[in-house]
This record gives sequence, structure tokens and C-alpha cells, in this order.
Amino acid sequence: MRNQRKLLYLLALFALLGVTELRARAQGNYEIQVYGSDTVAPKSTMVELHSNFTPEGSKKTDDGTYPTNHQLHETLEITQGINSWSEVGFYLFTSWQDGHGVQWVGDHIRPRVRVPDSWHWPVGVSLSTEVGYQRSQYSPDTWTWEIRPIVDKSIGRWYFAVNPALERTWHGPDTNQGVGFAPAAKIGYDFTRKVSGGFEYYGNFGRVWSFSALHDQQQQIFAVTDLNVSPKWELNFGVGLGSTAATDHVILKAIVGRRFNWGKHSTID
Amino acid sequence: MASALETLPAISETTSDYSLTIAPYSLEISPRRFIKTVAYNGQIPGPLLRLKEGVPVTIAVTNHSGDDEIVHWHGLFLPPEIDGAMEEGTPHIASDSSASYTFTPAPAGFRWYHTHTFAGRDLRKGLYSGQYGFLMVEPRDNPARYDQEFFLALHDWGASMVASDDGSVSAVYDSSTINGKTLGFGEPLRVKQGQRVMLHIVNTSATEPHWLAMAGHQLRVIALDGNPVPAPRAVSMLRLSPAERICVEVEMNNPGVWVLGEVRKHIMATGMGIVVEYGGRTGKPVWQQPQSLDWDYLWFASPARQEKPSGSLNVTTIPLTFESKFLGHGAMDRWMINGRSFPETETVALREGQRYRLIFRNKSMDDHPVHLHRHTFELRRLAGKETRGILKDTLLVSAGTEAEVEFTADRPGLSLFHCHQQDHMDMGFMMLFQCS
Repeated sequence: MRNQRKLLYLLALFALLGVTELRARAQGNYEIQVYGSDTVAPKSTMVELHSNFTPEGSKKTDDGTYPTNHQLHETLEITQGINSWSEVGFYLFTSWQDGHGVQWVGDHIRPRVRVPDSWHWPVGVSLSTEVGYQRSQYSPDTWTWEIRPIVDKSIGRWYFAVNPALERTWHGPDTNQGVGFAPAAKIGYDFTRKVSGGFEYYGNFGRVWSFSALHDQQQQIFAVTDLNVSPKWELNFGVGLGSTAATDHVILKAIVGRRFNWGKHSTID
Repeated sequence: MASALETLPAISETTSDYSLTIAPYSLEISPRRFIKTVAYNGQIPGPLLRLKEGVPVTIAVTNHSGDDEIVHWHGLFLPPEIDGAMEEGTPHIASDSSASYTFTPAPAGFRWYHTHTFAGRDLRKGLYSGQYGFLMVEPRDNPARYDQEFFLALHDWGASMVASDDGSVSAVYDSSTINGKTLGFGEPLRVKQGQRVMLHIVNTSATEPHWLAMAGHQLRVIALDGNPVPAPRAVSMLRLSPAERICVEVEMNNPGVWVLGEVRKHIMATGMGIVVEYGGRTGKPVWQQPQSLDWDYLWFASPARQEKPSGSLNVTTIPLTFESKFLGHGAMDRWMINGRSFPETETVALREGQRYRLIFRNKSMDDHPVHLHRHTFELRRLAGKETRGILKDTLLVSAGTEAEVEFTADRPGLSLFHCHQQDHMDMGFMMLFQCS
């Protein structure tokens, strides 16, 4: 009961912060992932490398940022499990590009809580909030905040997840734009115990109460595969197509994750 | 053996030795924490049925649960029409109906009774519910060598199906109890210094094996599944897979207030424990945490001697291979015996009087507590080691291992064989033997 109350307070706090403090941001292609509701177990750390390459992106920009064409983004994500219903993640963003070399882009921190199994909800639910900085050469909005509700469900071989994220900029040209809406969703199918495939959707509609014109929105669909080769490994690969002028036209992505268990894990734990 | 099954419109108390009423029940497992379930006679565990070997008994069962129900008399040698499995031909008891069962109890020993219905995705039905109770068949000549006895039932409540490491889903539980109470909430086991206490323990969990230890004491195992073992031995802990029973003697020679509980910390934390209190002793119950899980059936086998190679002496072998079929990360696996799921599994014909050896090959990633109805079998080979003398009706076949048991087909009719994990049974891990 104490844990349930603590979790409710956290959920309420996140919701309150989301209403009062969120600011919009433009999101780069550093971490392309639809979140599932599960969290990393306590005494465990998940280390993930997100590799995103843009074969066909913007060749020039007018907001002072570097063009995305042929950029390789390498993002290191380290997520530490706190208890059975919470975790905190850290991100280190980098960009590799001809003419610019390897550049540090920024860092984020992302605490997350989820509804425990003991609540017996029919769907998995969690809530993450992410705050961080990115250099202005890579994003005009340098300080940003995101709040991301996560709902998912496995039904037989099918998997469904939605992440209707809200974004807000703390520092940058979009500071006064209010709350932005950047939903993501995933549908997957288990072909075998180890191989799943499906589609992921990523969008950025602009302001919540006043969506941008379609050509200014970001709309991407990825064909993806997840390889469940071991409980210790997370492997996700995909190719994405952007359908609007504001979206990079082709992106290749890969997530390679490895879970590490810390401390003494004996059979009696 | 005399037996009879009669469906009655109503039960007359005067014609039955025991009556069981199946009805919804709210169980308080800890202060102000209630589990809504179904129970026998408004209590969990159900009433202790103490029967005498060879003396006919009549048990009346009335069902007010709202669903069809059936009671399985686990470990008894009963005809298929009253054994308590619809697959064998025992009729179910419709809601607001009654049935009466008359039989001559055998074999002697610690048995139990429980529901034998399908649960599927309803994780409050079947063995997930509170429908379980103790059944003791007293031997004709009772060599009672103990001063006091206790009956203990281990159970888990509030199941959720969550993703597991093998890529499927498996049950996890909110709470775990002994005799329906979490640690510290129920009455302690009150003992006196110098007593020899007998504990009859059954794991009634739908899916979860349990490890038990009593702080400050050794547990001398004298019977497995109610059948005396050839080599009683004192151990520091017990392992009981679902449906298994263990009878242990405990010398009460360490006065104090102790905990008898689950060895694994996360299960103890959800409540599985009971206080053992010596007369005149008070204070906080003491728990001594073991650092490993130790158990081997073969500790209790006949004293070591050179065994003849298995498979000799006119024994017919029946290989049974256990495998699963993946149905998605959001589904329970489909279970198969020799490549088929029940009811498509082969019904194997047995010749009455013939000795059979079942060769269990568990090629899956899960352990399976397999149970043979209406028979006792002898463990003959486990993980490559020959053995003799251990008589059981439920055996845990660990993932990726083999085990062999022998029994004589001496009970005509259908006998059900299945994994006692409710989710495995529901997903096809069953087959029938037909003896004629």
C-alpha cells in the first residue's frame, strides 16, 4: 500500500508538472523508440546504443542548425532500475558527420514510473518525463522537457503500444510556442519466439491546440524487427520513411541493448 | 473396493459422513485485506477429512459457487466415475446441485482434495481459488510416534500473467499464505519443549513451487505424497512443487519463538510463513535465512546398492515427451505430450496387471509437476541416476531433464495424467490411460 501511494503521488506530480511547466521542443533523430510500459528491474542496468543514420535528409537549414543529410547519430542510453516500478535513464547524444567530425550534442535524464503488476490493470501503463540540453548547432531549442504517457498491451502474437508525448521548450525559438504534441505508436507481430516484426509511427504535430500545417509536421513510419534472442539482449532494427517536407526522408535505425545485473543474485532472492 | 456415485437433488446430513459446500467466500489473509474467492464450507483450507483405511465413507458435496464444479480426491485409488476429473468420466456438479460419493479409502496416508476445473485466463478460478482441503487416510494400525500434528497448506493469491524470460507469460502472485493467513496474522503453531511434532504439508498453489524451512530446527522427512520413504532423513528445508505433500517430524528441542516460512525472500515478503511458539516463550519470531536452495528426491530413496539396469523384468516402457508451442509473447504456451495437446493426445491402452515404465522427457524450458490419477508410482530414475523405493503420485520433472517412474496398471478404466500447473493443464498438458 505504501508503494501504491508513493506511485500515485509521483504520477500526480508528473501530471501537474506537465500541465504547468511543459514547453515545446524540436526533436532530433537521436533516440527513435516507442516505449513499452515495462521498467528495468532493480539491481539491473540496461545499456543501449541507438544508431541512427540519415541517408536522405535536409541538405540545408535556415535556423542555424547543421543539415541532417548523412548524419550518423550515436546515442548512449543507460537505464538503472530503482525498484519493481521505477527506473531512471541517462542519455549521451553524439553526431558524426563529414566536415564536422564527432560532436557531442547533448544529454538528457529520464525518470519513469509504471503501474505495478499487483494493480492488475488490463493494459501496461507507465509515465516518463525527460529533461535535457542539446547544442544549438543540432537543435534550435536547447533546453527541453517531455512528458510521455505509455500504454501497451500484448494479445497473443500481437503487440500494441502508444506514446502520446507532450513536449515543451525551456530555451530556444519555440519557448513561446506552448505545448507540442509528438505521438508515437507501434504494432508488432511475433513470427516466432525470437523474431518479431512490425511498424512504428513517429509524429510531431506542432502545438497541441493549433497543429502546424501538414508540410511543417514531422510524420515518419518505420518498418522494424525485434530480435528476442536472450533476456539479456534487446535488438531492434528499422528503416523509416518521412512523408512531409519537414521530415527526413529516409532514416536507418538500430538499437542494441545489453542488460547487466548488479550485486549478488542468489537463488533465495 | 466399494464405491458409488449418486446425484442427489438434496443432501441428507444423516446419510453422509462428511459434507462439503462449495460457495463464494471472502478470506481475510491479513488485517483488513480480503481475497474474494470460492471455498469449501466457508473456510480455507477446507475441513480436514479424516478417513480410516478400508472403512467405507460417504461424502456429500453441494455446489453453490455459480459455476460447474468438481472435487478431485488427490492420491486416492478411486474408480474413474468418482475420482473427480471430468476427462475420466466423473460428472461435474452443476451450480445449486449436489452429489454424494461413497468409497472405501485407500491407500493410507496424507492426501488432499481440490477443484479440478478449467481456469484459462480467469486467474481466480480452478486451483487459483480457495478450493482445497486436507484428507488423511489413517492406516489400519496407526503407529503414531508423535505428540502433536499440524496440517499446513501453502497457497498463492492474486495471480497476474506477466512476461517471463522464456518469452511466454507465467503467473506471479500478490500474496502467499500458510493455511490462508500471511505470516504473523494466523494462529501460531503452539508446541512444547520435548515434543515430537508431525507436520503434514501440501502445496496447493496453482503454479508455484515452494521451499520451506523452520528456523532453529531440522525437518525429518518421513513421507512424500503421503507414502513413507525408505530412508527418512533430517533436512534443513523442503521443496514442494504444486500438489506435492511432505510429512515431516520435528523434534521440539530449541525453545523460542520461530518462523516456519518460505526460503526465498520475495515469497516470504508476500506473506508465506507461520509462527512456531513454544509454551511459555514470547518475543519477536526469529527467522534464520538459508543461503541456498537444497533438495533432492534421491536423499530419501532406498539405501545405495547396485541397481539392475532399468527397463528389465517384463516392464513395458511408454516414452512421454513434454514440449511447448509458442503462441506469442502475450499468450500462454500450448503444451504437448508426444507432439499433441489434449484432447488430441493419444489415449494409451494399458493391460490390467501389467507393469509400465513412464519415461518423462522434459524438452521444455519449464519445470512440470506431473500427476497420475488413481495410482501411486515408484520413482526409478532421475537425472540419470537409478533409484528405488520412493512412491509418489506427483513428481517434479525439471526443465530439460528426464525421469522414469513405474506403476502397475491395476485399476480398470480411464486415468488422467497431467501437469499440475493450472496454466499448463489448461493449455493441453493432459492425456489419458485406458486400462482394461
